[in-house]
Amino acid sequence: MWEGSMAVTGQPDSQLDRLESTAERRLARSAAMILGVGIASIVLALGGTLVSTLANGIVPYQRLVEGLRSTPTEVILDVGLGLGAVAIALGFAMYRRMPTKRSREQSIAGAVLGIQAVVVGLIILVFRTFGDPDLFIKLFFNAGILEGHLGAFVRGALNTIILAVTGELGGIIVGLLLAMLAMSKRAVVRAPARVYINFFRGTPLIWQLSVFYFGFAIGLGIRPAIDVGPIQLSSAYTIAVIVFILNTGAYAAEVFRAGIQSIERGQLEAARSLGMSYPQAMRYAVIPQAVRRVIPPLMNEFVILIKDTSLVLILGLATGELELYTTAREGYSDTFNASFYTAAAIGYLAITLPSIWAVNRLERRLRSGLVGVGA
Amino acid sequence: MATRKARLLMGVLFSLVLVAGACAEEQPVEPGDGETESPALEFTTIQEGVLQVGSCLDYPPFESVEGGDEVGFDVDLIEEMASRLGLEVEWVTADFDTIFTAVAGGEFDAVAAASTITEEREQIVDFSEPYYNSRQALVVNTEETPDIAGVADVGEGDIIGVQRGTTGKAWAEDNLVPQGAEIRTFQGAPAAFQDLAAGGVTAVVNDEPSSAEIITELPGLEIVEAIDTDEKYGFAFSPENPELTEAMNQVLAEVIADGTYQEIFQRYFPGVEVPPEFQPS
Repeated sequence: MWEGSMAVTGQPDSQLDRLESTAERRLARSAAMILGVGIASIVLALGGTLVSTLANGIVPYQRLVEGLRSTPTEVILDVGLGLGAVAIALGFAMYRRMPTKRSREQSIAGAVLGIQAVVVGLIILVFRTFGDPDLFIKLFFNAGILEGHLGAFVRGALNTIILAVTGELGGIIVGLLLAMLAMSKRAVVRAPARVYINFFRGTPLIWQLSVFYFGFAIGLGIRPAIDVGPIQLSSAYTIAVIVFILNTGAYAAEVFRAGIQSIERGQLEAARSLGMSYPQAMRYAVIPQAVRRVIPPLMNEFVILIKDTSLVLILGLATGELELYTTAREGYSDTFNASFYTAAAIGYLAITLPSIWAVNRLERRLRSGLVGVGA
Repeated sequence: MATRKARLLMGVLFSLVLVAGACAEEQPVEPGDGETESPALEFTTIQEGVLQVGSCLDYPPFESVEGGDEVGFDVDLIEEMASRLGLEVEWVTADFDTIFTAVAGGEFDAVAAASTITEEREQIVDFSEPYYNSRQALVVNTEETPDIAGVADVGEGDIIGVQRGTTGKAWAEDNLVPQGAEIRTFQGAPAAFQDLAAGGVTAVVNDEPSSAEIITELPGLEIVEAIDTDEKYGFAFSPENPELTEAMNQVLAEVIADGTYQEIFQRYFPGVEVPPEFQPS
C-alpha cells in the first residue's frame, strides 16, 4: 500500500524513532500541528459558518439571512479564513524540510485543507457581502413555504421508491427470461427477444410512457386500474409500473446476457463433463457465478430508475400518486418558489445515496475472495 | 514550448467566447412607420425587431397549430399588436406551469397563452391590460356519466381532470375537493379532455371558451355548467421590461378602439357579442 495515504493517520510515526536530532523531531511534530490548523480552518470556514447560520433558525427564511449576516458567523468565517491562510503559508513553506515522509504528507495535507478553506470561505464571503442572499434564500431555501407540504413530499418519496422498486424487480424477472431467449441456439427464438430488447433500449423512456398511456389507455381504452381492497391505483400509475418493468427488462436482459457469457466456457464444459445436462450446468455452475457479476450493473440500473421515475410527470396522476419531482413541480407552479425543487433534490439524494452506499457494500462482499484488478 | 503557447492561446480564446456568449444582445427598437399615430415608443426586446412569444399552442381557439401555422385569437391579436410596433412574432413552445417564471427570467419577451391575471402571477410578471373575459367550465362525458348536471352533483368518488398551474385547478381544489372529489393533474389540457372522453376522469374543469372548442373534436363531451370566476386574460411580460408592457398596452388600446379587436373576436367567436369594454369607440 502506498505509504502516503497512511502517513496522515494518527498512528505513531515509526520513522521518527530512527531520527537522532531533537530539532528534527520537533520539525516533524510541527507538521502534525500544521495539519491540525488546516483541519480547523476548513471546519470553521465551512462547518462553522453553516452551523452559525442555521443556529438562528430556518423558518421563516429571513432568519437564515440574519444568521448568515450575523456577527458570530462573520467572526467564524474570518477566523477560518485566517487559519486557512496560515496553514497554506506554513504548509507549503515547510514541507520540503520535513525529515520523514509522513510529516511531509501531513504538512502538504494541512496546506491543501487551508486552500479549500480559503476558497470556500471567500465564496461565502463574497456572496454574503456583494450578492443578494435575501433573494436567493427566499427563492431556494424558503422552509416556511414548504411548511404544510411535508406530508406530500413524504408521499412523493414513497411513490418514487415504489415505482423504482417494482420496476426493477419486475424488470429483473423479465430480463432473465429475455436473456435466456436471447442466448438460445435457435435463431427463431433469439430474433423476437432481440427485437424486443432493441426496441425498448432504442426508444426514449418518455416516449414509451406516452405511447402506453395516451395510445393504449386513453386511445384504446385499455385501463389497467387496480381497485383491490386498500390498493387503489389509477391506470396511469399501473401503466407507469408496467412500462418501467418492460423498459428495465430490456436493459437487464443485456446485463444478464453479458454476465452469463463472461463466464469462461471451461466452467460449462467442466460441469457437462461431470454429467450435468445443459440446464443443470447453467443452474448449478454458471448462473451462481454470473450472479456476482450482474448485481453491480443491475443495482446501477436501479439507481438510474429512481431518477427516471420523474418522467411520470407527463401522465395524469392523482394527488396521492405524485412522486417526488411532480410534487415539487406542483408546488412550484402554485407558488413560483424554487424551494420545492431544493426539497425534491434532498429527497432524491436521501433515496439514491443510501442505495449507492448499499450497492458498494454488496459489491465488496461479493468480491471478497476474488482477486481482481482493483484488489 | 509550442504546446504551452498553443494552450495559452486556446485558454484565452475560450474565455473570450464565454464572455461574449454571456452578454445578451439587447438593442433599443424604434417602431417602423406603420399605420399608428402614437408617439415613438422606446422599448427593448431580446432580439431586435422580433417579439418572442411563449405559448403552449395546444389551446384552441386561443392558440393552436393548424397545418403548420399558428392560429387562434391570442395569435391573431398579438401578431396584430406586434406588427403595429414594427415587430415580427416568433413563437416559442413552453409548458404552462412554468411559463410565467420563464418570461420573468427572460426566456422570451411575452406570454400569450390564455392566461388569467391573478395576484400570485402578478408578483412575478407584469400583465397587460385585460383583453378577454373568461369563465371556467365543468365538462362532463354525458355518455359515461349522464347524471352529473352541474357542480353540485360532483361528490365522493368523482375524479376531476385539471391542467397543472391553471386557475381551473385552483378552483377545483377549493370547491370540488371539499365535496369529496379527487383531482388528477395533467401537463396539458388536451390530455385531460382525452382522458375524459375515454372515461378515465369524471369531469374536467377548464376555461370555458377553449373547452367549448376542444369538445367539438371529442365525442360525448358537454359543458354542463359555466362557472363565473370573473377571470380576465392578459398578456404577461417580464417585470424588468415595463417599457414593452407599456407599449403593448398602448397598441392594445388602439386595436380595440379602431375595431380590429372586434374583427378578430368575431372571427373566433362568431355569434357571441363583444363585451362593451372591448367595443370600438
